[in-house]
Parts: sequence; C-alpha cells; structure tokens
Amino acid sequence: MFAVACSDFIRRTRDSAVRTGKLLQNPRIKITDVTAVMSRPPPDPLFILRGSGAAVNTLHFCCGGDGPPFLYSGSGKGAIHVWNLTTRRAEHVLESHAGNSVIWLHTFKDSSSLISQGRDMRVCVWDLSEDRSTVTDSLLTGSVGFSQCSLLESRPGSALLAHPTEHMEEVSVVDMRSWTPVCTLKPDSKLGMLMCMKMWQADSGPVLCAGYEDGSLVFWDVSHRRPFSCLKAHPEPVMCLDVDVCRQKGISGSSEKILQSWTFDDQQNLQMHDSVQMTNPGVSQLCIRADGKILATAGWDNNIRVFGLKKLKPLAVLQHHTDMVNSVAFSDHQDPPQRLLAAGSKDQRISVWSIYSES
Amino acid sequence: MGSEVRMQVCSCLRTLSSSRDSGEIVHALRTLTRYLEDDEFTRLHYTRALQVLVSAQSSHWFNRSRDDHEEEIKKLWDEIFLRGPPDQTLLLLLDTISSTGACAGLERCVSVLEKFLSTGRLQVLLWSRCEGGGSYADTPQLREIIIGHLAALPSITSNHLHTNTPDAFLPQQYYSLLAASILDTLEKTCHALRAGRDCSLGFVAQVLGKVCIQGYSSQIFEILAPRLSSLTRADPLWQRVTQRLLENVPERCTECVITGLIRCLSGATAASRLMGNLVLTNKKAQFVLTHKLLLQQYQHPTRLVKSVLGYLALDPERRMLLKQVLRSVCQVWCNSSAVKHTSVEQQLYVSKALLLCVALLTDSEIQELRQEMLQCMLGGVQCRLDSNIVRIRRMGMAVGECLSHKLDTPGSQLKFQYEPDEEIRELKALMESPSVADDDDDEEHQPDASSSLQPEPKVQGSAGRSVTSEPGRGSDSELDSDDDLTPYDMSADQEKKESSPPRYVRDCLEALMSSDDADRVELSLQVSDSLLRKNVNATQEVSVQFSKVLLHLEDRFNTPRFHSLRQNAMVALTVTDIKPVVDYWTTEFYSLNYNLRQRLDILEVLALSAQELSEPIRNKHTGAQPITAATAIERCDDITHWRQIVEKRIQSKTRRISKGATQPVKAVPNCYAPVAGFFFFPLLRNYDRSQVTFDLLGSDHLVLGRLLHTLGLLMHLAINAPVASQMGRALLDFVWVVRFHTDQMVRRGVMFAVCAVFLSMPSENLLTELGDDLMETRAWIADVAENDCDADCRSLAVQSLILLDKNLKSQLQIPDTET
Repeated sequence: MFAVACSDFIRRTRDSAVRTGKLLQNPRIKITDVTAVMSRPPPDPLFILRGSGAAVNTLHFCCGGDGPPFLYSGSGKGAIHVWNLTTRRAEHVLESHAGNSVIWLHTFKDSSSLISQGRDMRVCVWDLSEDRSTVTDSLLTGSVGFSQCSLLESRPGSALLAHPTEHMEEVSVVDMRSWTPVCTLKPDSKLGMLMCMKMWQADSGPVLCAGYEDGSLVFWDVSHRRPFSCLKAHPEPVMCLDVDVCRQKGISGSSEKILQSWTFDDQQNLQMHDSVQMTNPGVSQLCIRADGKILATAGWDNNIRVFGLKKLKPLAVLQHHTDMVNSVAFSDHQDPPQRLLAAGSKDQRISVWSIYSES
Repeated sequence: MGSEVRMQVCSCLRTLSSSRDSGEIVHALRTLTRYLEDDEFTRLHYTRALQVLVSAQSSHWFNRSRDDHEEEIKKLWDEIFLRGPPDQTLLLLLDTISSTGACAGLERCVSVLEKFLSTGRLQVLLWSRCEGGGSYADTPQLREIIIGHLAALPSITSNHLHTNTPDAFLPQQYYSLLAASILDTLEKTCHALRAGRDCSLGFVAQVLGKVCIQGYSSQIFEILAPRLSSLTRADPLWQRVTQRLLENVPERCTECVITGLIRCLSGATAASRLMGNLVLTNKKAQFVLTHKLLLQQYQHPTRLVKSVLGYLALDPERRMLLKQVLRSVCQVWCNSSAVKHTSVEQQLYVSKALLLCVALLTDSEIQELRQEMLQCMLGGVQCRLDSNIVRIRRMGMAVGECLSHKLDTPGSQLKFQYEPDEEIRELKALMESPSVADDDDDEEHQPDASSSLQPEPKVQGSAGRSVTSEPGRGSDSELDSDDDLTPYDMSADQEKKESSPPRYVRDCLEALMSSDDADRVELSLQVSDSLLRKNVNATQEVSVQFSKVLLHLEDRFNTPRFHSLRQNAMVALTVTDIKPVVDYWTTEFYSLNYNLRQRLDILEVLALSAQELSEPIRNKHTGAQPITAATAIERCDDITHWRQIVEKRIQSKTRRISKGATQPVKAVPNCYAPVAGFFFFPLLRNYDRSQVTFDLLGSDHLVLGRLLHTLGLLMHLAINAPVASQMGRALLDFVWVVRFHTDQMVRRGVMFAVCAVFLSMPSENLLTELGDDLMETRAWIADVAENDCDADCRSLAVQSLILLDKNLKSQLQIPDTET
C-alpha cells in the first residue's frame, strides 16, 4: 500500500517538476534522486518577534524559572528587549549602554539579574526583580574588540566573568562577587585580536577556550594562568565557537565556508576532528543545544543552518531573514518538546523555530 | 608411320561420326585411347578427334545406347578428354560451350570440364609451359589465346551457362584453384631447378598478369600471398623463383599484380622477400610503388602504405628511393593548390604517407633532408591553417607537430591547441611505430594474441574484491552517524549572489553597458532574454541601443555560457522589435571596424531569429515560442543544424508511393513571411564593395561562406511567402558570381543556397527566372556533382539536381494535362 502511494507520489512530483521546468533545466534529477525530491520541506518559523527597532545582536533564553519563559534580546541601538514567549510581546525594554550597541546578554541562574555587555566598553549587571530595571553594578572593560564575555557560575552566589580588555589579545577573569581580578590571560606568541571565548568548569578547575584573529584556538588553564594547548583551526579569524563539555567536543566557525569541529582529551589537548562545507561563507554565531544532538549556525548568507553534532551532517537550512543573521540561541526549557531555537538578524527581526524538538 | 596413324585415326573418326553400332563405337574409342600416348596423334589429330567426339555424341549415340556398352563409352570418352594435351582440351571445351546452345551435349562438355579442373589438368597445362626453359613451341597467337582462356574461364562459361554455371567455374573457386595450380607449378620449378634443369616462368607470369588485369587480383593473391610469404621465409630458392615470376609479369600488368600482392601481404619484410629489388630493376614497378600508390591513389588502407614504405626502407639500395619519395610527398603536402583542390580523404592519405615516411628515416637521413622537411612543414602547415575546414586545419596541426618533433629543433617545436579526435590519434600513432620488422606474418601474431588474453581474469578478480570490500566500508561509515535526525529538503540552499538581477530593461542595459561587476553582468545576461520578451514596449524603446551594446559586448569576466546567453538576448531583441533591429544588423554587417566574430554573430542571430519567426503561430496568447533558449547550439555546428532542418523538410516533401495519399499540410501563417525581405535584401547590398577591414570576396571567405549559408536559410524559411520569387532571383544572381570560388566552405554555401532556391521558389517562377541560363546552370551543377573534391558539395549538388529536375518535370507536365 505504501509502495503504491509512494510511486504515485514520485510520479506526481516528477510531473509537477516537468511542468515547472525543473527537470528540463536540471537533467540530473532522475528517479534515483527522488529521495531528495521526497524529503520534507523545511519548517516555517513558529513565530516572529518584531519591533526591536534595530539590528538584533544577541539573544538569551531564560525559561527555567517559575514565571513565563523569557527571551532577552540586545539591539544595535542599546535597547534590551525582554520578550514574554507566552504572550509573544516585549514585556520591558531597557535602555542601556547609552545607546551603544549591546553585544552580549546573560542571566544568573539563581536570581533575576541580568548581565549585559555593550559597545560603550562597559559590562552592566541589572536587577530585574519585581519589575525593577536598574543597573546595580557596572565594569569598565576598556575593550573595543569583537569578543563577547563569558560567564561561569561554579557555585550559587559565586561566579567568574571572563571579559576582553583594552589590550586586544588579552582576557581578564574577574570574580563577580567582589569584582576582584582573578587573572589575565595573554598569549605569548602573536595570535592577533581575541575574537570569541567560552569558559567552563573542568575537573581540574575553570578552563577557557579562546579563538583568535589568526584562526588559532587556545585552551587556557584559568587557575594556573597558562595555556594547555593551541590549535590552528582556521586560516581566517575564528568568528565563534561553542563547546559541548560532556562530549569534550567543540565547534568553531570562521569567515569561510568551513565549519570545524575539534575534540580535547583529559589533558586538555586539542585535536582536529571533523569539518563540514557550507554553501556560503561566514558564520556570525553558533550554538550547541544542551542535549548535544544538534547545533545551529547564524550565517552571513541570511540563513540559519542546523547540523547533527556527531558527524556534522547538514540537517536543515532555515530561510526567513532578509539580512545577515547575527545570533542564534537554543532555549533552556526543561521539557524537551517545548525547546525552541531563536535567531536574531540584522533585518531587525527575531525568528523563533521549533525544530528537532520531539526526540 | 605417320600416314598409318593418320589412316587409323581417320577410319576411327568416320566410324564414330557415322556408325550406329555401339560395339563399333567402343572399338574405335579404344583405338583412339591407345593413340593418346602417341606424339603425332596428340600434336596433329587430337583436336580433330575431340571435335568429332563432341559433335558425334551430341547427334546420336548417348541417348540411344542403353545397353551394356554405355558405361564403357562414357568412360572412354572422358578418358580421351582428360588424358590428352590439356591446352587443346581446354580450348575446345570452352569453344564448344560458348558456341552450342543448351542440349545434352553441352551438359557432357560442362561435366567433363569440371572433371578437367578437378583432376588437376591446369597444373599439367601450366607445368608443360614451364618445363624445359620455355622450349614449348607455340605460336604467339596460340599462347595468347590459351592465356586468355585460362584467365577468363569464369566469364566465358557464365556468359553462356548463366544461372546453370557449376560452382567450380565461379570466380572465387576457379581462381583459388588457379592459384593453387600456380603454386604447384612453382614448387615443381623449384624441384627442377634443384635438379639442375631449366625452367621458364614466362607463361605463368603472363597468366598471373592477365588474371590481375581482369580484376581478380584479390581472389588469386588471397591464396598465393600468404603461402609464398611463408615459403620464402625459409628458402632462398623460393625467393629467387618468386622474384623471377614477378619480373616476368608483362609491363602493362605490373601495377595490378604489385598492388594486389602488397594488399594481401602482411608486412614490409614479406614484401621485401617476395619482390626483392624489383623496384630498382623495373621502371614500371618503381613508378607504381613510389608514386602512384602514394600520391595518385588514396583508397588503400594504411597497412598498404606502411608495407610499401617499409619495403623501400628495408634495403640500403632502396633507401635512396625512400628519400626520393619523401621529397615528392613533401612537395605534394606543402602545395597550397593541392590543399584546395583535393579531397580531404586524399589529404589524409598523403599526410599518413608523409608521417610514415618520416618515421622510417634515420637521424642522419633527417639531417640530410632537413631543409626540404622544414620547408614542407612551414608551407604545408600554413596553408592548412588558412583552410576553413576544421578537419584540414587539425590535420595540418597534427602533422606539423609530428614533423617539428622529428626535426627536433630545440626550443622551437610547434605546439597547437586542439581537441584530438580518432583521426588525429591515428595520425600521431603512425609516428610511434617506425620499426619495419615487427609487423610480420599472421602466424607470428597469433601466439601474442593468445598470451594477451591471460591477464584478464586477474582484472576481474580485483574488480570483484573491490566490490566486496565496499559494503564493509559503507557499514563502517553508517555507524555513529546522526541517523536518527532526518534532514529537511535543502535544495533551496544556493550560492548567494552579491547583487540581484535587474528587473527593468533599462537597468539591464545599463548593467551591460557600464558595469565592472562580474556578477551583475552575468545576472543581466541571464535575465535579458526573458526580460526583453516580456516587456515588449520597453524593449522597443531601446532596442537598437541594446543591440549595439550586445554586439560590442566582450566576455571580460569569463562568464559561463556567455556566448549562448548573448546570442539568446540578441535573438530576443530581433524578434521583439523586428524592423529596426534587423536594419541595424544588416547595416553593421557591412560597416567598418568589426571583427570576423562579430560579423559571424550577426549572421547567426539573423538566421536564428528568422527561424524562430517562421515557426507557425499556434496560439496568440502564448506568442512566439523561445525555441532558441532551450537549444544551446554549438557555435560551429549550426550549419549542420540548418541542414538537418532542410533535410527534414525535403523528407517531408518526398512523396512515398507505398504510403498512399499523403496528408495535405495545413497552411498556417507565420511571422517571418511579411518581413523576410528586411532580413534578406540588405545582406546582398554591399558584398562587392571591399573595405580596408573587410574584403568579402577576397581574404574573408570564411564570412562569405557563412553569409551564403545564412542567405540560403533565409531563402528556405521564406518558402510560400510572396517575396520568395524575388529573393530567389537575387540569390541566384549573387551565387552566380562566386560559384567557382576556390574555398570549399564557400562552394558548400553556394550549393546550399542553390538547394534552398530550388526548394522554396515556386517552380513556374523558377523556370522563367532561369530562362536561358537553365541549361548552363544545370551543366554547372552536374559538373559539381561529379567533379568537386568536397564530398558535401557533391551531395548537395546531387540534391539540387534532383530538385531542379523535379521542378522541370512538374512544369512540363502542366501543358500536357491541359491539352
């Protein structure tokens, strides 16, 4: 029965393809390629959030709490929108960083405070509890580079923040409670500007992986202020990276067409693992979902791409935006079917998708 | 004694011719049989006796003698024929067969002649003339007659027996038998020579010559050549005998014998063994081998050329001739008039001969001939590169490369860019097998062939292994993949273009005119075809300007499919705004400062547009179908493309009797008929006005050829249009000027145009137009059909002759039906 339906479908697909002239233009499509014809069309976005008023630079989900799920977005004109995902409306709009672009947002697990990084060289901590919206702390980093900060909450109440400094290649780690600098990490050789980084807690202590302008990745031991290992992953600057801590695997994107994955062992030695070719060059951000199954990239070609993490198998190309996609984020919903993917673009819109959320 | 024999014989013969008693007849036959040993009888009375026997038996006694003597009579009768002198028997039997009508006697003669052949009497006949150093006393006339009868037995018999000819008399069998007899005679000669006796091969050689000159050389040498080749390998006496045989062949038969022999031999060494230094001693053989086979004829296979040249190269004395051959071949090869006036096949043949010749030369000889070869190479390559025929150009390039490689001028070897095809590869391969000795007889080749079969199973085995290993690797890669996640359709994922395609005709024009952005130009070109066809009004505003831009557009960015995109756009312009654009094209075709490519482009665009316009208007809503968009025609192939169309139409016009009544074609209007004149006449306006940059009747004959093709096509597409008569008249006038052009492309164009005129012009107008010139035209076309060196020209001429005759017939029949 299925076979009959299938062949019928194939015939109809081919007929319609002939009518639209697809087969005439591309004679390579034959019956053997019917699987390509048969695969399901990519999904449409679940909903679109409009009204950020400027390019959307960064996104952060906060869905774990008791209240409604929130999505924070930072715009190119210093506005931080707090979107209620139930009503799909912006609940607050925070004017921040003196109208300068907001490049990074993060929330703390325990409290309702938000941390934001802006182009005015400052990092601000916001208190949002009980409808407040006040800046409680602020730190002048002096950085004019591209790198976003990275936050590590090892225990409730104590957190480390890694941020770029006025020296282009330098990372500074501060203790959030006292704002005391823990250490500064500066590579010995010339690797160029710091481009992106991620800090997490390993068995040996906090570690940080940083990507540099010349395409190198450096694995830093934060407690001993020395690098574990270094890997030249790309010929071009490393634009973004993300790490799956459990699987000891990371992905980095660059301004070229290649997406590179690498692994590290218990001695924190980096090794190239796999790579995948994309149709168009340039990735502004990438994000691995918490379960480590898929990752999403924000492409310069206006597309969001979804890959399987194990083999970097291309899974979907989501086309909605009409300009460069700046940021992607997966939601931290506890319930898997509710998990979402959000993408913020230079075209001022945020698209929210539900993809591969069943399994 | 002599008279006694005569008396006896006479009485016997009288008995035979008159007696009715079978006993007497038997007695007489026995007497005659006894006399067969007698020399006088065989010399003087044998023929007479045979005549009596033939006539007697035909008159009465075979049909009546039903008694016990019948068997004996038959036996004796046969014996007299088969044991007597074979020459007389043969002559008499053949004469009888050719002079008597069908009767029982004729059957007896035929059967006895069959027995004559099968019992080896031919050997006896040949050997009788060989023996004793040619002392056999024949008059020259008799000898000539015997040779004639021997050589022509199949023709003589089948002329009279028609379908009743026995198999043994058919050429294939008879000449095999004759060849075997000759071999046998040669063998006997060898034995005799070993025994110290003299022999003469003159008669055998004459027979061989006669057979060959009658055109049966292949039949006879199929048997002779391989056998002689293997016999001469071991035995010098056999070589001597064979060479002697060939020396004795009459001069007028030399050519056929030598050609037939070499054709059936398998290599140069065999030829050398069989012919010895014949080429040095026999002037005729020298002419045939060094000139006729190489430079005048060209139907022979490459193998033959190889054998001839290898034969010349094998002996130090003959190498002189090889050098002489090289000189003459060089002369022919670099002769520009030969390039123009000989057929492509012959040029290929000469090129092969040249390369084979060069490959056989040693380094010192090449140094000696260096000057001639250099001259030949430079001249020959140049005049071939001037040719309009791709095949000739390519041939010139390949031969030039080979020669310069052999001349080994350091740093200045010729190197051309071309796609080698089968022909070129064959030419180049000729240079790589210079050794003469390796291509010997078949027997030596067979073991090679059998041993070469062995590696095959190994290949299969490895293929099998690779097949089995593949699933293993495949399953390995299947593990640990992201299988649980089914991918979505990603076919929409395409390379992002920096710029978007223009949406307006004017934007498109501007992009093509001024943009330095490769992407933009490419996008504009891609959309221009559909954009122009969709926005008719906007197109008409800028059509001429757009045409100008497209005509001058150069492929600056190496755009993919640039030429077909540009051509499609030009065609779209032409069909959208016909009159101004066609005016523009036709004016620019003759104006200053265009390169050949642009002029050819104009012609192509005109032809394609006319073709598109001439499509019948099917539906007003769909408008003109863009047929050109789908067919990306190879740029050099459009002549064949047109021709295919024309031939298809000719096919469709041909009435087949077996098909019954043909369906009447429904008349449909098309867009081309009203505007055909705009396309056609301006192209004829200025052809004889040569300019500094464009000389149509002079050096730019490539364009002239294409112009003629285009005009022919425009003419053909205008079939049934009112203007067709005027067009035909003008085209015939034009063609008349250039009909004897030296370039083949132009002549092809001329014949194509003539074909188109005859096909498209209404026949009554055609005849009034041709008028007085009719006979002259017909004679000219017939001459082309027969004598042109280009095969395409000939076939086109034949086609136009047929069309002309058809027109004539249909015109001349009209008055008949009216009266």
